[in-house]
Amino acid sequence: MQKEDAALGEDNVFNDDVIIELAKSKPNGISNIDIKNEIPDVLPEIWTKSINKLLKSGTLELFKDKGTLLYKYKDPSTKTEVKGSDNEEKVVYKIIEEAGNKGIWIRDIRFKSNLNMTQLNKVLKSLETKKYIKAVKSVAASKKKVYMLYNLEPDSSVTGGAWYQDQDFESEFVDVLNQQCYRFLEGKRDAAIKLGGGPLMCRNRSYVTATDVHKFISELGISKVQLSVDDIESILYTVVLDNKAERTVNPNGEYLYRAINPFLKSPGIVRTTCGICPIVERCGDAGLINPKSCKYLTEWLND
Amino acid sequence: MSLQHRNVINLILLERFGKVIADVGDIIFQNPSSLYNIVKSADIRISKVKEALSVLIKYNLVTFKLNVDSSAAIYMLNLKNVLLMLRFPKFINLIKTKFDETYEVLVEEILLKGCVTASELIIKVAKRLQEQKTVNILLQELKDNFNSLVTAKYVTRLSTQVTKAEELYLLPNLDLKQILTVLNGENETLSDAGIYWTINSDRFHQDLRDQLIVNSVSNKFDDNMGELIRLLLQQMYVRTDPWVSSSNPIPILEVKDIVKKRNTHPQLATFFEQYVNILEQDATGIIRKVGEASGGSFQVEIKHIFTQLTWEAVEEIVNEKFDSKASRIFRLVKLRHYIEPEQIQNLVMIPAKEVKRILYMLLEENFLVVNELKRSATSLGPSKSFTLFHIRLSQVVRTMLELCYKTLYNIMTRRCHEKYLNKRLIDKKHRVDTITHGMRVQGISGDSVLDIEEMITPPENEILERIGKMMKKLSLTELEIDETLFLLEMYLKYE
Repeated sequence: MQKEDAALGEDNVFNDDVIIELAKSKPNGISNIDIKNEIPDVLPEIWTKSINKLLKSGTLELFKDKGTLLYKYKDPSTKTEVKGSDNEEKVVYKIIEEAGNKGIWIRDIRFKSNLNMTQLNKVLKSLETKKYIKAVKSVAASKKKVYMLYNLEPDSSVTGGAWYQDQDFESEFVDVLNQQCYRFLEGKRDAAIKLGGGPLMCRNRSYVTATDVHKFISELGISKVQLSVDDIESILYTVVLDNKAERTVNPNGEYLYRAINPFLKSPGIVRTTCGICPIVERCGDAGLINPKSCKYLTEWLND
Repeated sequence: MSLQHRNVINLILLERFGKVIADVGDIIFQNPSSLYNIVKSADIRISKVKEALSVLIKYNLVTFKLNVDSSAAIYMLNLKNVLLMLRFPKFINLIKTKFDETYEVLVEEILLKGCVTASELIIKVAKRLQEQKTVNILLQELKDNFNSLVTAKYVTRLSTQVTKAEELYLLPNLDLKQILTVLNGENETLSDAGIYWTINSDRFHQDLRDQLIVNSVSNKFDDNMGELIRLLLQQMYVRTDPWVSSSNPIPILEVKDIVKKRNTHPQLATFFEQYVNILEQDATGIIRKVGEASGGSFQVEIKHIFTQLTWEAVEEIVNEKFDSKASRIFRLVKLRHYIEPEQIQNLVMIPAKEVKRILYMLLEENFLVVNELKRSATSLGPSKSFTLFHIRLSQVVRTMLELCYKTLYNIMTRRCHEKYLNKRLIDKKHRVDTITHGMRVQGISGDSVLDIEEMITPPENEILERIGKMMKKLSLTELEIDETLFLLEMYLKYE
């Protein structure tokens, strides 16, 4: 092949570039007729040779649409280059590549490739050892492994984003952030009240956007991972759900947050033991659980 | 109408009136029945039953109506009024803070008697307060105070079938001279005999309701806002029936004038418009603007306020009963109305497993309900159904009411039990107290009194002190539970 290229000389090299340029200009692919129209002065024997070469090297891909053959340009950076692999490996590699950074489950690979389980396992293992692909554990199901290309960064739906470390949800981290966010909102409100002015001013001054909170949290340096503004937004929403803050929308479509007070102090019923008793359903006049000898009540009374 | 409800009512009657009345009450709680049936099922002598019923009727706890074939009277227990007895301390306190001590004594006496004629009431109260003032002034004052209680509708004429609506708050014709002669120990028929007066609980509830609203608003915003809503409510009564769900429009200028005139809250007076604005714009929707005329007129959305307050109370109960994560999930379900577990997991930032545990725990305790939507049978493939979580507030409120009754019952049972356990000691203390008191009245003092007092040993004293503390705590708790009951009742009333 190399020798032939050399024999054909500069003419051939020129042809290669022309065809690549042509294919690049039409992302939907070029047909044989397109090529003929574009370079009428070059003999079909010469450009077919060059097309064959490009197809083999993976720069062009062959598609069939309504009976006509189409060549599509493919970026050489992502091009399939499974050296020293057999056809099965190539097929599997291609399936995994298509799945992108979301990854693909082994069962889906089997359906798509029509390989049997043992063969597929062998292929995957070999690809893994060659570091073409990697297996990533998904947070959605702890036992579910998904495969993706080795150099890809897994999607946040697979890793769970900033809140997951090794498939474990870091609830403590979230709790700390939740508290810090609330502290920030509270501080802002207290500062606004201290500044004085009318109540309307106080209220408007105590509003903050997620970006402000993001800045505060980043400066605190409590997070090992880089948090995005969206991450903070979802933390702030949990503060809202805790009834410690309210959320409104400003004219730019941004969310504004503000610390608020509740209407009521805790209702009387939960200030007794019975109101929060986990076995209140089983409590009665007769039987082991009764108000006369209730341990919880005794403890509470002796407080 | 449930087992818990019945238990509480039975216990209240037992504590206040004794066993016979409690038994009779229990029978007519189960089903309203005639005198004959009560005697049959209670196995109490007919004279006793009659007595019990008349006591209950006097306290407005039993009502009666004619049987279908007009042959006998059917007696029914007035459940609301029985539970109301737990709220009496609050009523008395309300009157005390709003007016002064003589009013308090007047109301207290009415509550103690159930119903009473005006003259008798004044005689009774005058006897209690005689030592402080000269009789003539006192009587005049009591008469005036009583009349103002009637005008303010705290006290109403006991209504019978023949009472007309306009007679309810008609002032009685009181002859102070007559009262004075009776007070001096002579017999005379009083001018207003046969006209009985009783408490108008609705009026008290109205005040308690307003107090609750003002306190809540003050908690959420500040005292100035509390004052604003208080004045709004006050102005509301000028044009509106007290128990409608949203008031008629109130011109805001009127309120502004009052604020300026009173000048108790300078901050509110200076920034009046801003305060109104904030209250109106707030997500809670306490007031609503209905017109621009005369500086804007606003409606107070009382029903809405109570829905909000009830939501918050229920959320807080979830928070205390389970934990803050559960209340977070509960609030999310409230905000989204219908929501799938997957969505909840993403929004509340709690591990999926934990979310599932909490969701099904809340479901088990009846705070949540599940709606399952099945795909139609025609669609092929794995049959997927949607599980949607949802909250039915009125259902939750009823569950909470039950919980309140149960808690009340438990607390009261415990109190009785503790009293029973330490009966001997308490009786001894009583005896010693009466003896020493008697001795002091006789003018004996010194060692002999001390000797008697020392009959209660230090360890006994310690126990007595502990019991006293315990009783105080239990009674206080009863009142606190009643607060929750009041809020929930208000919600159901407006619902």
